[in-house]
Parts: sequence; C-alpha cells; structure tokens
Amino acid sequence: MHPFDLKTVMLAKHAQHVVLIHFPIALFIIGVLFDFLAQWKKQRLLAAAAYYNLFVAAIATIPVVVTGILAWQWELEGQKLKGILLMHLVMGCLSSVLICVVWFIHMRTRRKQEEILPGYRLPIETVAVVIVALTGHLGGFLSGVNGPG
Amino acid sequence: MRRSVFIAGLVAALVLGIGVFGTRQKTSVASAQEKMSTMEVKIDNFSFGPVTLTVPVGTTVTWTNRDDIPHTVVSTDDSKTFKSKVLDTDEKFSFTFSKAGTYPYFCSIHPKMTGKVIVQ
Repeated sequence: MHPFDLKTVMLAKHAQHVVLIHFPIALFIIGVLFDFLAQWKKQRLLAAAAYYNLFVAAIATIPVVVTGILAWQWELEGQKLKGILLMHLVMGCLSSVLICVVWFIHMRTRRKQEEILPGYRLPIETVAVVIVALTGHLGGFLSGVNGPG
Repeated sequence: MRRSVFIAGLVAALVLGIGVFGTRQKTSVASAQEKMSTMEVKIDNFSFGPVTLTVPVGTTVTWTNRDDIPHTVVSTDDSKTFKSKVLDTDEKFSFTFSKAGTYPYFCSIHPKMTGKVIVQ
C-alpha cells in the first residue's frame, strides 16, 4: 500500500475521517484562542483572525461528520453502537453543533455590525473546547493513537 | 454350585470392567475431539494472537476481545465468509470452518490489524 497512491487514499473507506478530523479541531481551538486574546488585548485584528478560523472550522465539521457516519454505515454496517463508539458518536455530533453555534454567534455580531461580541460566548467556547478535546481523545483511543497500538 | 457362582461373578466383573473401560475410552475420545474442534484467538493490544492459526476442517474458532478497545473480526474475501459485530471487552465471536482453505481476516475499525486461519 503506497501512502501517496490516490486510489488508496480515495477508496480507504474510513481513513478520511481520521485525517479530516484534525482540521476542525485545530482551527476551532486556535480560533477560540484568538478570540480570548482579542478580548484581552482589545485588538480587532485578533478578533478577525478568530472569526475566520471559526468559520473554516465550522465548514470543516461537515465532511468530518459525513465521513464519520459513512464509516459507521460502511465498515460497521450501521449496527447499533455502544460503549466508546457510541460516546464518540454522540460527543462528535455535540462538538460539531457547538463549533457551529460559536461561529454563528460571531457571524451574527459581524452581520449586525456590532462592535462588541456577547460575553456569554466565552463560557460556551470554553465548554466547546473541552467537549472537542474529549471527543478527540476518544477518537484517538479508538484509533489506537492514544493507546498502546 | 460354588463354582458356578464364582464364574458368574467373574463374568459380571468382566462385563462391568469392559463397560467402564469402554465409557472412559469414549469420554477421552470425545474430549480429544472437543479439544480439536475448538480453537481460540485472543485479541489484545491491537493484534490477533496467534496471527496465523492452522486448524482441521470442522473446527470452530472463537475470537475473544481482551483489549480495552472495541474490535471486529471480518474476513477479507469478497463474499465476507464471516463478519462479527463490534466486540467490546471480553465479548466473543465464533465461526465454524467447514471448508478447507485460507481465510484472511482483519478488524474493520483498525484495518492494520490482520490475521489468517488456514483450514486443512
């Protein structure tokens, strides 16, 4: 199996999910970090960087959710999940919703051309980062990255 | 009279002895067959053990997940000769091999985990 063979990459039924998942995780965490820095330093440039990171993170959740569900349907034939797999599915969906909610809060403020972002977004962002990190940890555990394999 | 009682007793003891011996032999043959017809593959630390298992036709192979992570056992041939559900820790999956051949398999959650059953 050649790692740069296009056919191998495209036809690896669930490998895409394991690869694509890193994009929303990284973008969202960096986006939240920029947002906290923007709040602290009162810098528009950091707020803009936060917005664009959160925007791309929200878009990146779509292929991740799709490939995750396809992996479940193809590789496990959609069988009833339990244990870590079920927890990963539920927390993955919750993470995606939270990422989109955080981006939506930022987007709405920009559309209304308001200067100040609502303060309630910060606890939501904090909870979202924790949920995303836990989901990623479970995914790493399932794939063997965080385990002995 | 005494003699005939003695002979009858001897015959009875002989018959009883043959009976017990025969039963024991049957039991030992049965347990040997049982031993031969069931083999176990352990799933642990993201690997199947033994990786290659050679068994006679008619053997039932049981995979037991001793790992903390869920795994599956899926044959790689097109007709998917055997395919387990997701096995959580300590769950088992069994399949009886009725035809000779080589049966490669893998874990569909962790495709790098592979194994093989050779049925002779």
